[in-house]
Amino acid sequence: MAKVRIPQILREVASSLFKRPSTRGYPIVKSIPPEGFRGRQVFHPERCISCGLCARDCPSGAIEMVEVSGKRMPLFHLDRCIFCYLCVENCPRNAITSSTTYEMASLGREGMIMKPNGQPMNKEDNGEVHRS
Amino acid sequence: MASSREDETINTLRERLGQGLLNSWVSRPRRAYVHVRQGSHREAISALLNRFPETTISTITALDLGGEIELNYHLWCDGTVLTVRVTVPKSNPVTETVTDIIPGAALYEREVFDLFGVRFTGHPDLRRLLLSDDWPSGQYPLRKDWSPGAGLPLKAPPSRIGNPDMRDASSIVNVVVGPQHPALHEPERFLFKLDGETVLDVETRIGYVHRGIEKAAESLMFFQNVHLVERICGICNVAHTVCFCQAVEEIGRVEVPPRAECLRVIIAELNRIHSHLLLLGVAGLEVGFETLFQYIWRDRETVLDLVEGLTGNRIMAEYNTIGGVRRDISPSIAQTILREMRNLRKRTSFYREVFESDPTLELRTKGIGRLRRPEALKLCVVGPVARASGVDSDIRRDDPYAAYEDAPFNVPVYDEGDVWARLMVRVDEVAESINLIEYAVENMPSGPFRVRVARRQPEGEALSRVEAPRGELLHYVKSNGSAYPERVKVRTPTLANIISFREMVKGYYVADIPAILVSLDPCFACTDRVALVDADSGRKWICNLRDLRSDRWRKQP
Repeated sequence: MAKVRIPQILREVASSLFKRPSTRGYPIVKSIPPEGFRGRQVFHPERCISCGLCARDCPSGAIEMVEVSGKRMPLFHLDRCIFCYLCVENCPRNAITSSTTYEMASLGREGMIMKPNGQPMNKEDNGEVHRS
Repeated sequence: MASSREDETINTLRERLGQGLLNSWVSRPRRAYVHVRQGSHREAISALLNRFPETTISTITALDLGGEIELNYHLWCDGTVLTVRVTVPKSNPVTETVTDIIPGAALYEREVFDLFGVRFTGHPDLRRLLLSDDWPSGQYPLRKDWSPGAGLPLKAPPSRIGNPDMRDASSIVNVVVGPQHPALHEPERFLFKLDGETVLDVETRIGYVHRGIEKAAESLMFFQNVHLVERICGICNVAHTVCFCQAVEEIGRVEVPPRAECLRVIIAELNRIHSHLLLLGVAGLEVGFETLFQYIWRDRETVLDLVEGLTGNRIMAEYNTIGGVRRDISPSIAQTILREMRNLRKRTSFYREVFESDPTLELRTKGIGRLRRPEALKLCVVGPVARASGVDSDIRRDDPYAAYEDAPFNVPVYDEGDVWARLMVRVDEVAESINLIEYAVENMPSGPFRVRVARRQPEGEALSRVEAPRGELLHYVKSNGSAYPERVKVRTPTLANIISFREMVKGYYVADIPAILVSLDPCFACTDRVALVDADSGRKWICNLRDLRSDRWRKQP
């Protein structure tokens, strides 16, 4: 029999015994995303000039132009969004800006729709949005 | 001086082919093209192999030109990517195989057969590669006259695996593994032919996650395609975007600012570290060493946090774009990167010790799954798999791109060719990547980090190669002068490597299969094509598909 060696990894195991766990206690402890994290977009209707560039550039077809009180504005299907931020980058008027919101889970597809009139995930005001 | 090598390879062909060589040109250093007469490609490739025995094939790109199908054999030959171009008529797409002179081409010919319907006479095993077994015959999705959504009838129920030839001897048992996540969390199917505990042969079937990305790329604009190719593979997403952007930049003659090239090195190497640490952890898991898996993945988190800080997301970096990168590096992130790299270097040297000396790993990986150098060359394997078999190749050094030309780094090469060597290559590469990142952060050139590029690209073609974490990744892009590409061809490293799995696993025990498979670091989502190699070729069929295949397959010798 060869000489019995103590495996290197045992050192590591022994020293870890008295440390706190490496995992985070989500959802009780939420991790704070760094600045510049690509979360849910924020749309500013007052800046929008209805050019439709965001809808044309979106690689996954997540943006639909809809008419809201007489103005064509983007509606975001966040369930299709890949968060590449081409819309944020290519908007000529900065009407779409970034946020670090990452908790977007929803029980249904309609919860993943972000309407142009500000508040996302609002089921009631269906009458105001007319698909073009 | 640089161009003489390209001329030499072309001259070799001119001497041999004479009038058969229709045209030849050198588009840039290390990129040569020859157009040969119909049917002369075989002669051309054997002439190259005679002159340069270490020639390997990267892939075959097929293009539908309308009346004919163009085949581009991309060969890596004496430091040059030589593309041998030949056309076959679309009405009768038959041409000669090259698999007998360069066995590594077997899967690529099958891919072209599957997606374009070109028949290669003399191919030992010309079967479907990527499309599902119940795909209707005579439908070739990458031809231009084919479009999706025509309500394709699925003709046959999910296929049953059956290979009568493998059932002859009574002591031999067939074991089907997969396609539901065998060992790795990706779908692939293996048919192992076992004699007791010993593996005699294996047949692999992939394509379960074939998403038709090459076809989809033709319907998106160039800058949108960056985000599409990023999703070919989650793990090596940066390699795909760098490769695609470089190809488009070459077509559009875009000068990428030096700062962007340096930033690409940083993100590509962070990507490599995260990929290798992932694999090393999974390797621990597969050999029953779960402690190692947990520790390595803990340390991988720091790399993901760095990627998140630099790019805005942990995995999908979305960092590269045509003309540079999308964000600059801030001084605070640069400092964080340097600090974390110092920590990670300590951890890497610890893991190196573990991999070198741990008795569990030694028993499970040393001398297992050997792939010798001659086989590795013959099968044209790439990346860490090739380097572990003594093939000293690395695109970053041999065909430099981005800022790798001036960056100092070593290419670890092992001669053992076993599972252990394939893991050690990756451990050493993590250490090299850490050095590269530190070098890039400290020697960051000033200036802009991107140039704006027009949506429309001029007519042209380009072949781009990068060293992805798993090996050589190749993108071929052809532009027809509009904002949409005419053709995007992707050859992922796993497609080149999976062919060697059969060589590695033969003669070893069933219990070694997971370790051998994982040492290949296969990525099927990435490859979403790949298939089987088998000795008893030509005699296989899948029962339920007789109606789909009958005539064509029976005619095969």
